[in-house]
Amino acid sequence: MKHRNVGIIGVGQTVHSSHREDVNQPELIHEAVTAALADAGMTMADVDCVVHGNMELFEMIHQPDMWHVIGDGAYGKPGIRVTTGGTTGATLVCAADALVASGLHDIVLAIGFEKLQEGHTTGGITNMADPLWGREIQTGALTGMTADAMIEEFGEERAKKAAMKHRVIMDKHAMKNPYAHRRFGFTDEMIPAMIANTPPLVGDLTIVHMCSQSDGACAMIFAAEHVVKKLGKKAAWIQDHVTVHREETFNLFGNHTEVSTMRYAATKLFGRNGITDPRKQIGVFEMYDPSSWWGLDWTREFLLLSGDEHLKMVENGDIGIDGSFPINPSGGVVASNPIGATAMVRVAEAALQIRGLAGERQVKRDFDLALASGFGGTLWTVLVLLAKNPPVSEEAQS
Amino acid sequence: MTDAKQELITLPQILSIPQRFATGPIMGRFLRELRDNKRIMANVCPKCGRFQLPAREVCAICRVPVTDFVEVGPEGVIQSFDLVYYASPDPLTGKARKAPYTTTNVLLDGVKGEDTLWHLLNETDPKKIKRGMRVRAVFNEVRTGSMHDIKYFEII
Repeated sequence: MKHRNVGIIGVGQTVHSSHREDVNQPELIHEAVTAALADAGMTMADVDCVVHGNMELFEMIHQPDMWHVIGDGAYGKPGIRVTTGGTTGATLVCAADALVASGLHDIVLAIGFEKLQEGHTTGGITNMADPLWGREIQTGALTGMTADAMIEEFGEERAKKAAMKHRVIMDKHAMKNPYAHRRFGFTDEMIPAMIANTPPLVGDLTIVHMCSQSDGACAMIFAAEHVVKKLGKKAAWIQDHVTVHREETFNLFGNHTEVSTMRYAATKLFGRNGITDPRKQIGVFEMYDPSSWWGLDWTREFLLLSGDEHLKMVENGDIGIDGSFPINPSGGVVASNPIGATAMVRVAEAALQIRGLAGERQVKRDFDLALASGFGGTLWTVLVLLAKNPPVSEEAQS
Repeated sequence: MTDAKQELITLPQILSIPQRFATGPIMGRFLRELRDNKRIMANVCPKCGRFQLPAREVCAICRVPVTDFVEVGPEGVIQSFDLVYYASPDPLTGKARKAPYTTTNVLLDGVKGEDTLWHLLNETDPKKIKRGMRVRAVFNEVRTGSMHDIKYFEII
């Protein structure tokens, strides 16, 4: 049980784009922070602590939390810097949650940011590989291995159609999201031509399947329950979260027996929160989908499905915003990917859904729970469960 | 705010840092065997018996030191492969890689466990590469004590 409940009462994000040469890094962050403060109805004077996160290897700006103070308002305030690779944004949420739940701070501002156009995304990720073994071989986060495995399991035609339909659904969602980077206007009719004509990056992973390289920032305000009540704000409550790491190598593909970190995290999270039927009990899922192949494959893992149930969910349009289990009404990571912010945007979008503030991309049905995932490292997973109502806490019971 | 007529100046920079990484006695032994004897040596967990490639100081599952080495390969089976068309920069040189190239995870003969050896495959025709194919390591004539003492794997 939590010591104190933590509510998300402010969300701000920039428009994610490949063209933000109009602002420098602190200016970009400032946009998100200003929007989050406005959403929470407060100023920097109310904020007790600032948590900052991104991945230094993209922009090669060291101590970015120091250089960004001018934009993030952290001057004179306690701060922590978080940098856990792709999961950074989700870890920022976990850190802010811990800082408030523990009683250390009442109001915490967390910021995830990246300006990928100022570095080289794939070169940067390649440089993350073990310096003794792998930098010469790795190609960033690009791999066709999931596509290959899915084609083998479900046949080339069905697998390729499902992956591309997944991509089209994400784009339809992105068209409803004014903050999304890539908004193409894809339609179902385009699927055969997209399969035939999109340039490949690696194997059957094409440029359209893969996530974007974006400039963008996201800021969120976390507050203790008594603050939320005092302010009378509508909050998305942090029900629970699970972080799962995996061995630090990327070569455990031999006699494969390992459970994926996605399935492991979901089993643990659902188990301790009484979720026996995630598709019924959870209203919306913001998944960190680095590519449509992974988004499709991981749907089976996160929802603890077997066989081809995840393919059917895509083929039947169940994951669409008006479907029975909407995934990524925001358009997901394939639409917008400012990496240090990306996993935070998942939680932020889930929080907007819980609070009913997602605008045109709001899921219409009523629901109590929303799920968000982060991905990074050697297939690490962070899974965050948000609730409409405050969970039971030690503080509330005393 | 930005004036529509204002020129937006960006500052291009290229970073280049010479670096030198210590390999330690375990990885060092692995690299020495490649360089001096053209042998691929996995180290074997004394507790669970799994083989580690490249050799690692401890078994992360059993949390015990792993000091015993066993020769594996140099032949094995393609467990997975990535045929890369995208010419990304090599972080060791800063230059764009020559695409296409193929990377592969090879399950070497004699290995017990999940560890594959991750390396290059000298074939870029998708029609000629399949999972399960047998391959062998080809060593460089001049070897320096790096993973690139193996030049690549070739299909047998």
